Amino acid sequence: MKEYIDSGILEVFVMGAATDEEARELMYMKAKYPEVDEALKQLETDMEKIAGEMAISPPPHMWEKIEDEIDDLIRLENPAQPVKFRTSGYDQNKHKKAPPEDQFIPIESESNHMRLHKSWRWIFAAVFVLGKIFLGFAIYFYLENRQTRQQLQELKTEIRELKKR
Amino acid sequence: MGQSKSAAVLNLYNSYSAKLLGYIYEVVQNKPIAEQYLSAVFNDVPNELEEFSKSGTSAFCRLQIMAREKLVHFFESLENDTDKRAWENLPWVNNRYVTLMTSFQQQVFCDIHYQCKSAGSIAIELSKTEEEIRKTLKECFTIIRNGRNNERVH
Repeated sequence: MKEYIDSGILEVFVMGAATDEEARELMYMKAKYPEVDEALKQLETDMEKIAGEMAISPPPHMWEKIEDEIDDLIRLENPAQPVKFRTSGYDQNKHKKAPPEDQFIPIESESNHMRLHKSWRWIFAAVFVLGKIFLGFAIYFYLENRQTRQQLQELKTEIRELKKR
Repeated sequence: MGQSKSAAVLNLYNSYSAKLLGYIYEVVQNKPIAEQYLSAVFNDVPNELEEFSKSGTSAFCRLQIMAREKLVHFFESLENDTDKRAWENLPWVNNRYVTLMTSFQQQVFCDIHYQCKSAGSIAIELSKTEEEIRKTLKECFTIIRNGRNNERVH
């Protein structure tokens, strides 16, 4: 078993450079021999620590962007294509206009949530403000109307009293 | 996207995105491009969630393997020899663990870790056997582990 662990196959596997056959064999050995499992876990920890040395925090809002892209991929039912990113291409992509479908309101069928285009927030804000203004006017005219009716009632009473005299 | 899937991907993102971005940046040496690869990797995670539970590797290693599969296209996009040579001379030795290795060990480690080459192709390139390449890789990990242990002692 030591010979198998010392062969370097575990290292090749954790670095993603093992062939399918090697990976299958390793999975079998891992299930059968706890020492292989232990050595593999140790290597995975090593890999994580190497990466931890050079970790860079992703920019803020990166997750929101990824989440949107995942939602778009699911919505379009478009499997991910092989990617090639170049600096020039990146700049071009950055200035590309959004595809026309982004102008519509996508509705997720699986969840109870609805996603709207960002421009809708101004419309909602305007509707809210206008609603408040109309409510203010309605209250004002209601009170005005009530006061007028009261005055009218008082005048009628006064006229009736004058007629009696 | 189902809420549970979204939560699972977010959990992976919170735990490993910084480490993965650091690794990708070391490979491509360009932050905007590295961020695009990071995004591309996480876009694929919802389709690979089952693999995460049954692949037998840690979540980080699985993500790193996914990143390597994507980065293969980066090497294809290095169009000419000048591009390739310039890229091959990048200062990976900035990594303090790599500096502890011999030049042959550095070559094997960097070819696999940063250039995503297979042990077989490196063996052919360097006129060695695959077994020798694997053993060298093992030595590299021993150096990394010892380097870390020494730091802990000091």
